Amino acid sequence: MTPALLQIRRLSKTFRTGRLEVHAVRDVSLDVAAGECMAVVGESGSGKSTIANMILGILRPSSGSVHFDGNPLPARRTLSHRRRIQLVQQNPLSSLNPNRTVGASLRLALDVHAIDHRSRRDFRVAQLLEEVGLSPEMASRSPAALSGGQRQRVAIARARACRSDLIVLDEPTSALDVIVQARILRLLNGLRSSQGLTYVFITHDLAVVRAVADRVAVLKRGALVEIGTTDQVFSGPAHPYTRQLIAASPVVTAEEEAVRRKLREDEFNDGP
Amino acid sequence: MTGNTLDIRDLRLSFRNHGGTTEVLHGVSLSIAAEERVALVGESGSGKSVTARAVLGLLQSQRNARMSGQILFEGQDLASLSGTERRRLRGTRMSMIFQDPVSSLNPLFRIEDQFREVLRRSDRRAGLRRTREVAGKLLRDVSIDDPDRVLSSFPFQLSGGMNQRVMIAMALVNEPSLLIADEPGTALDVTVQDQTLKLMRKLADDRRAAVFFISHNLGVVREFSNRLYVIYRGRIVESGPTGSIFRNPRHPYTRALLAAVPRITRAGIPDIEDSPEAFSAPCEVHGSKVTTA
Repeated sequence: MTPALLQIRRLSKTFRTGRLEVHAVRDVSLDVAAGECMAVVGESGSGKSTIANMILGILRPSSGSVHFDGNPLPARRTLSHRRRIQLVQQNPLSSLNPNRTVGASLRLALDVHAIDHRSRRDFRVAQLLEEVGLSPEMASRSPAALSGGQRQRVAIARARACRSDLIVLDEPTSALDVIVQARILRLLNGLRSSQGLTYVFITHDLAVVRAVADRVAVLKRGALVEIGTTDQVFSGPAHPYTRQLIAASPVVTAEEEAVRRKLREDEFNDGP
Repeated sequence: MTGNTLDIRDLRLSFRNHGGTTEVLHGVSLSIAAEERVALVGESGSGKSVTARAVLGLLQSQRNARMSGQILFEGQDLASLSGTERRRLRGTRMSMIFQDPVSSLNPLFRIEDQFREVLRRSDRRAGLRRTREVAGKLLRDVSIDDPDRVLSSFPFQLSGGMNQRVMIAMALVNEPSLLIADEPGTALDVTVQDQTLKLMRKLADDRRAAVFFISHNLGVVREFSNRLYVIYRGRIVESGPTGSIFRNPRHPYTRALLAAVPRITRAGIPDIEDSPEAFSAPCEVHGSKVTTA
């Protein structure tokens, strides 16, 4: 068996402000196999973004380690690590440079990582845009001239530009309308299977997890409380907190309502 | 004259800006009967929040806004009222709960001072003792067990869910007949959002207040409202009892919207047809219980 692409081992992060200590992440271990979509869910303050930042090398772990492709990731990331692990954020308006055209933003990623011969890079930009369902003419637009969904497509194209292997998606559709969300999720799924990408998908929305993830890790106050395949976790959530999260999710069908009601009744029966 | 708490008739709205005029609402009509919980659901830019602002009377004095049509609140045409009279309605007969409590509460004043300001809209001489009495009771109603601590706190000393409950209590101070809630709870975690919505529904029921609920979240709307209007690009495309619309959505836009919501019972992502032309089909009105003028 090949080792997992991403291995998180006993990872902890403690923030200190004055005398106050905040244990943002507590002893979390999980593996993400190549080609897998691993969802990390939890509410605000659960530590999901802190884990993302440690995977990306933005934060240093207080203890524990992150291994990528068999080797421990160093505190100072090499250019190759930065190329292979990319990020897509919730709000593309703040992650894309407003002063650069879409084309220039994509081109920069190609220049920095020396992808393709210089003469071919403009062609590659057009290709990247088409890959995410945008017309190549979009290259001359500024991010402000795009809709929310189009901007998120550009952010995905940029994360793809340097031939990344692992993309950390931090609430990539939370700011989008539901019809646009469905299209972006489709795009992400399609890219994953056609390009063999691996995702760490951070979200608070359990219905989105159900739709796209192979496996799911549930965090509460920095600690991992449940991990399993998406089917397992949704058909038989083991931890009370997972049950609580599913039971509180807004739903739109009678079938879902029945699932929630059952979880709530169980909770009531299990109670003290 | 109808017995409705709110009647909006053929509301049209446009804004003048440097590039010309932007049409925002193209003849929106809706009604809310006394004690009814009605939702207006749509995507960003569909005109739902601006409709709420018009009801609150906040656009009438805005110089670049052009409005036509009627807004009747408890049978009274808002256009016939002066700016002062409209202001007097806000926070008394109708009140508002906003999406983000942290930016709606003043960070520089204690909760009790902010309660007093609201109370003084109906009772000019209300002092701190009276405020603590009224607010204390309301805060208990929103399941805050230690109202005294909360009242002497600043908003940043309280959690998001706590602030949201404070906002709900504050909106109820003067016993409004209409509560307008714009995306309440959207900024909160799901478990807190769930509790907040239940609380809001119970309180509105107890106080016999009607609720005008504005949201993009279909799941939340399904949970909360009796009746529902779907708005797309400044037009109502479907209306009817909530259960009926969720069971049997008729308009192509409503169908696309519902199909696009991921389900906790199903893996995979729905395929959304790209047919915005169909979205401009005429409005579908579900039969029963629709009160029209």
